[in-house]
Amino acid sequence: MTNEALIEKLKEIVKPYVKNEEGFNNLNENTDFLSDLKINSANLVDVILDIETEFDILIDNDSMEKMLNVKAAMEIINTKLAEK
Amino acid sequence: MTGNDIVDMRVAATESNWRRKGFLEKIFSLQEQEYIKDSCAPDEMVWKLWTMKESAYKAYTRQFGGRFYTPQKFSCTVLSATTGLVVFNNIYYQTNTITTKNYIYSIARPAGVENPDLINSYFYLPQTHYYKTQSFIYKKIIACYNSVTGQIKKNLAVVKDKNGIPFLSCGIDLQVPVSITHHGQFAAFTIH
Repeated sequence: MTNEALIEKLKEIVKPYVKNEEGFNNLNENTDFLSDLKINSANLVDVILDIETEFDILIDNDSMEKMLNVKAAMEIINTKLAEK
Repeated sequence: MTGNDIVDMRVAATESNWRRKGFLEKIFSLQEQEYIKDSCAPDEMVWKLWTMKESAYKAYTRQFGGRFYTPQKFSCTVLSATTGLVVFNNIYYQTNTITTKNYIYSIARPAGVENPDLINSYFYLPQTHYYKTQSFIYKKIIACYNSVTGQIKKNLAVVKDKNGIPFLSCGIDLQVPVSITHHGQFAAFTIH
Protein backbone atom coordinates (compact mmCIF):
# COMPACT_ATOMS: atom_id res chain seq x y z
CA MET A 1 0.00 0.00 0.00
CA THR A 2 1.34 3.48 -0.83
CA ASN A 3 1.88 6.01 1.95
CA GLU A 4 -0.87 8.18 0.47
CA ALA A 5 -3.36 5.30 0.51
CA LEU A 6 -2.37 4.42 4.08
CA ILE A 7 -2.84 8.03 5.24
CA GLU A 8 -6.28 8.09 3.57
CA LYS A 9 -7.28 4.92 5.44
CA LEU A 10 -6.00 6.37 8.72
CA LYS A 11 -7.98 9.55 8.07
CA GLU A 12 -11.18 7.52 7.78
CA ILE A 13 -10.36 5.64 10.98
CA VAL A 14 -9.58 8.67 13.18
CA LYS A 15 -12.38 10.88 11.80
CA PRO A 16 -15.07 9.96 14.38
CA TYR A 17 -12.75 10.80 17.29
CA VAL A 18 -11.24 14.09 16.04
CA LYS A 19 -12.00 17.26 18.04
CA ASN A 20 -9.93 19.67 15.96
CA GLU A 21 -11.23 19.89 12.38
CA GLU A 22 -8.36 22.14 11.28
CA GLY A 23 -5.80 19.55 12.37
CA PHE A 24 -7.83 16.91 10.56
CA ASN A 25 -7.95 18.89 7.30
CA ASN A 26 -4.16 19.27 7.42
CA LEU A 27 -3.52 15.67 8.46
CA ASN A 28 -0.09 14.43 7.34
CA GLU A 29 2.72 12.12 8.51
CA ASN A 30 3.72 14.55 11.27
CA THR A 31 0.25 14.90 12.75
CA ASP A 32 -0.03 14.00 16.44
CA PHE A 33 -3.26 12.24 17.44
CA LEU A 34 -3.54 13.98 20.80
CA SER A 35 -2.01 17.45 20.45
CA ASP A 36 -2.94 18.14 16.79
CA LEU A 37 -6.24 16.28 16.38
CA LYS A 38 -7.27 16.66 20.06
CA ILE A 39 -8.40 13.05 20.18
CA ASN A 40 -9.34 12.15 23.74
CA SER A 41 -6.72 9.79 25.18
CA ALA A 42 -9.43 7.24 26.07
CA ASN A 43 -10.47 7.24 22.39
CA LEU A 44 -6.92 6.39 21.31
CA VAL A 45 -7.79 2.82 22.29
CA ASP A 46 -10.69 2.97 19.83
CA VAL A 47 -8.33 4.19 17.10
CA ILE A 48 -6.01 1.26 17.85
CA LEU A 49 -8.88 -1.26 17.88
CA ASP A 50 -10.25 0.15 14.61
CA ILE A 51 -6.77 -0.12 13.02
CA GLU A 52 -6.58 -3.76 14.15
CA THR A 53 -9.92 -4.51 12.54
CA GLU A 54 -9.32 -2.55 9.34
CA PHE A 55 -5.90 -4.12 8.62
CA ASP A 56 -6.55 -7.46 10.35
CA ILE A 57 -3.45 -7.12 12.53
CA LEU A 58 -2.75 -7.37 16.26
CA ILE A 59 -1.14 -4.34 17.92
CA ASP A 60 0.82 -5.54 20.96
CA ASN A 61 1.48 -3.41 24.03
CA ASP A 62 5.00 -2.42 22.92
CA SER A 63 3.66 -1.08 19.61
CA MET A 64 0.71 0.59 21.32
CA GLU A 65 3.16 2.51 23.52
CA LYS A 66 4.36 4.49 20.46
CA MET A 67 0.95 4.96 18.82
CA LEU A 68 0.76 8.72 19.39
CA ASN A 69 1.08 10.06 15.86
CA VAL A 70 0.40 9.27 12.21
CA LYS A 71 4.03 8.40 11.45
CA ALA A 72 4.29 5.83 14.26
CA ALA A 73 0.92 4.34 13.30
CA MET A 74 2.08 3.96 9.66
CA GLU A 75 5.34 2.29 10.72
CA ILE A 76 3.51 -0.12 13.04
CA ILE A 77 0.88 -1.00 10.43
CA ASN A 78 3.55 -1.59 7.75
CA THR A 79 5.62 -3.76 10.11
CA LYS A 80 2.60 -5.84 11.16
CA LEU A 81 1.41 -6.25 7.55
CA ALA A 82 4.89 -7.41 6.51
CA GLU A 83 4.88 -10.02 9.29
CA LYS A 84 1.64 -11.55 8.03
CA MET B 1 4.79 16.40 41.16
CA THR B 2 1.05 16.13 40.84
CA GLY B 3 -1.16 14.93 37.99
CA ASN B 4 -4.92 15.12 37.58
CA ASP B 5 -7.66 13.85 35.29
CA ILE B 6 -11.39 14.48 35.03
CA VAL B 7 -14.05 12.53 33.09
CA ASP B 8 -17.47 13.94 32.25
CA MET B 9 -19.68 10.86 32.75
CA ARG B 10 -22.35 11.95 30.28
CA VAL B 11 -19.79 12.64 27.55
CA ALA B 12 -17.90 9.41 28.33
CA ALA B 13 -21.12 7.45 27.87
CA THR B 14 -21.55 8.85 24.35
CA GLU B 15 -17.88 9.04 23.28
CA SER B 16 -16.59 5.72 24.55
CA ASN B 17 -18.04 2.24 24.42
CA TRP B 18 -15.89 0.39 26.95
CA ARG B 19 -17.95 -2.74 26.34
CA ARG B 20 -16.63 -3.07 22.78
CA LYS B 21 -14.48 -6.12 22.13
CA GLY B 22 -10.86 -5.64 23.18
CA PHE B 23 -11.29 -2.26 24.89
CA LEU B 24 -10.89 -3.36 28.52
CA GLU B 25 -8.07 -5.79 27.69
CA LYS B 26 -6.01 -3.05 26.04
CA ILE B 27 -6.25 -0.69 29.04
CA PHE B 28 -6.73 -2.74 32.17
CA SER B 29 -4.84 -5.56 33.90
CA LEU B 30 -6.67 -8.75 34.84
CA GLN B 31 -7.05 -7.50 38.43
CA GLU B 32 -8.52 -4.21 37.21
CA GLN B 33 -10.91 -6.08 34.92
CA GLU B 34 -12.03 -8.02 38.02
CA TYR B 35 -12.73 -4.72 39.83
CA ILE B 36 -14.95 -3.71 36.92
CA LYS B 37 -16.69 -7.07 36.65
CA ASP B 38 -17.38 -7.20 40.40
CA SER B 39 -18.55 -3.58 40.66
CA CYS B 40 -22.23 -2.74 41.07
CA ALA B 41 -21.46 0.49 39.14
CA PRO B 42 -19.14 -0.70 36.33
CA ASP B 43 -19.24 2.62 34.42
CA GLU B 44 -17.99 4.45 37.49
CA MET B 45 -15.29 1.84 38.08
CA VAL B 46 -14.05 2.01 34.47
CA TRP B 47 -13.63 5.78 34.58
CA LYS B 48 -12.35 5.84 38.13
CA LEU B 49 -9.54 3.45 37.18
CA TRP B 50 -8.94 5.41 33.97
CA THR B 51 -8.57 8.75 35.83
CA MET B 52 -6.25 7.06 38.36
CA LYS B 53 -4.02 5.84 35.51
CA GLU B 54 -4.14 9.08 33.56
CA SER B 55 -3.40 11.28 36.59
CA ALA B 56 -0.46 9.04 37.57
CA TYR B 57 0.81 9.19 33.97
CA LYS B 58 0.74 12.99 34.12
CA ALA B 59 2.57 13.05 37.47
CA TYR B 60 5.15 10.56 36.14
CA THR B 61 5.89 12.37 32.87
CA ARG B 62 6.09 15.71 34.65
CA GLN B 63 8.85 14.29 36.85
CA PHE B 64 10.67 11.96 34.44
CA GLY B 65 9.73 13.28 30.99
CA GLY B 66 8.77 11.15 28.00
CA ARG B 67 5.55 10.63 26.13
CA PHE B 68 3.98 7.21 25.61
CA TYR B 69 0.70 5.32 25.65
CA THR B 70 0.78 2.42 28.11
CA PRO B 71 -2.33 2.71 30.26
CA GLN B 72 -2.23 -1.00 31.11
CA LYS B 73 1.19 -0.69 32.77
CA PHE B 74 -0.10 1.86 35.29
CA SER B 75 -1.24 -0.71 37.79
CA CYS B 76 -4.11 0.33 40.07
CA THR B 77 -5.12 -0.85 43.51
CA VAL B 78 -8.38 0.51 44.90
CA LEU B 79 -7.95 1.17 48.64
CA SER B 80 -11.29 2.80 49.42
CA ALA B 81 -14.13 4.64 47.69
CA THR B 82 -11.92 7.72 47.44
CA THR B 83 -8.29 6.51 47.66
CA GLY B 84 -6.05 4.31 45.58
CA LEU B 85 -2.49 3.43 44.66
CA VAL B 86 -0.96 3.41 41.16
CA VAL B 87 2.42 1.85 40.38
CA PHE B 88 4.44 2.40 37.21
CA ASN B 89 8.11 1.49 36.79
CA ASN B 90 8.38 0.95 40.56
CA ILE B 91 7.21 4.51 41.24
CA TYR B 92 4.20 4.69 43.56
CA TYR B 93 1.45 7.28 43.41
CA GLN B 94 -1.39 7.76 45.86
CA THR B 95 -4.63 8.87 44.30
CA ASN B 96 -7.69 10.68 45.59
CA THR B 97 -10.87 10.38 43.58
CA ILE B 98 -14.11 12.32 43.74
CA THR B 99 -17.00 10.38 42.23
CA THR B 100 -20.32 12.03 41.42
CA LYS B 101 -22.96 11.01 38.93
CA ASN B 102 -21.81 13.84 36.65
CA TYR B 103 -18.03 13.53 36.79
CA ILE B 104 -15.11 11.57 38.22
CA TYR B 105 -11.97 13.44 39.21
CA SER B 106 -8.65 11.96 40.35
CA ILE B 107 -5.46 13.58 41.61
CA ALA B 108 -2.23 11.55 41.82
CA ARG B 109 0.71 12.51 44.05
CA PRO B 110 3.94 10.63 44.80
CA ALA B 111 3.21 8.17 47.61
CA GLY B 112 4.51 9.09 51.05
CA VAL B 113 5.23 12.72 50.18
CA GLU B 114 3.37 15.19 52.34
CA ASN B 115 3.19 18.11 49.99
CA PRO B 116 -0.32 19.42 49.68
CA ASP B 117 -1.15 21.47 46.62
CA LEU B 118 -1.41 25.22 47.00
CA ILE B 119 -4.70 25.39 45.13
CA ASN B 120 -7.20 22.75 44.02
CA SER B 121 -10.16 23.83 41.97
CA TYR B 122 -12.78 22.16 39.83
CA PHE B 123 -15.57 23.85 38.02
CA TYR B 124 -18.20 23.81 35.29
CA LEU B 125 -17.27 24.93 31.78
CA PRO B 126 -19.58 27.29 29.89
CA GLN B 127 -18.78 25.98 26.37
CA THR B 128 -16.94 23.05 24.97
CA HIS B 129 -14.98 24.20 21.93
CA TYR B 130 -11.41 23.32 22.81
CA TYR B 131 -9.58 26.62 22.24
CA LYS B 132 -12.22 28.69 24.05
CA THR B 133 -12.11 26.11 26.82
CA GLN B 134 -8.35 26.48 27.11
CA SER B 135 -8.39 30.27 27.41
CA PHE B 136 -11.27 30.08 29.91
CA ILE B 137 -9.31 27.69 32.14
CA TYR B 138 -6.09 29.71 31.83
CA LYS B 139 -7.94 32.87 32.95
CA LYS B 140 -9.35 30.99 35.94
CA ILE B 141 -5.90 29.74 36.93
CA ILE B 142 -4.40 33.23 36.71
CA ALA B 143 -7.27 34.82 38.67
CA CYS B 144 -7.03 32.13 41.32
CA TYR B 145 -3.23 32.43 41.72
CA ASN B 146 -3.57 36.20 41.87
CA SER B 147 -6.15 36.01 44.66
CA VAL B 148 -4.06 33.56 46.72
CA THR B 149 -0.58 35.04 46.26
CA GLY B 150 -1.24 38.67 45.29
CA GLN B 151 0.93 38.30 42.15
CA ILE B 152 -0.15 40.82 39.54
CA LYS B 153 -2.27 39.23 36.79
CA LYS B 154 -0.40 40.78 33.89
CA ASN B 155 2.82 39.08 35.04
CA LEU B 156 1.15 35.66 34.98
CA ALA B 157 0.79 33.32 32.01
CA VAL B 158 0.11 29.63 31.55
CA VAL B 159 2.74 28.10 29.26
CA LYS B 160 3.52 24.57 28.10
CA ASP B 161 6.95 23.00 27.72
CA LYS B 162 7.95 21.02 24.62
CA ASN B 163 6.26 17.90 26.01
CA GLY B 164 3.01 19.80 26.52
CA ILE B 165 3.38 19.95 30.31
CA PRO B 166 1.84 23.15 31.67
CA PHE B 167 3.41 25.68 34.04
CA LEU B 168 2.29 28.98 35.45
CA SER B 169 4.94 31.49 34.49
CA CYS B 170 5.35 34.34 37.00
CA GLY B 171 7.76 36.94 35.70
CA ILE B 172 11.19 35.95 34.42
CA ASP B 173 12.46 33.21 36.65
CA LEU B 174 9.57 31.62 38.52
CA GLN B 175 7.70 28.70 36.99
CA VAL B 176 5.03 27.08 39.11
CA PRO B 177 3.85 23.58 38.12
CA VAL B 178 0.14 23.44 37.35
CA SER B 179 -1.91 20.37 36.41
CA ILE B 180 -4.89 20.97 34.15
CA THR B 181 -7.63 18.64 32.98
CA HIS B 182 -10.95 19.06 31.22
CA HIS B 183 -13.52 16.84 29.60
CA GLY B 184 -16.98 17.75 28.36
CA GLN B 185 -18.50 20.27 30.72
CA PHE B 186 -16.01 19.88 33.56
CA ALA B 187 -12.51 21.20 34.22
CA ALA B 188 -10.07 21.18 37.10
CA PHE B 189 -6.61 22.39 37.99
CA THR B 190 -4.13 22.09 40.81
CA ILE B 191 -1.31 24.55 41.44
CA HIS B 192 1.56 22.92 43.30
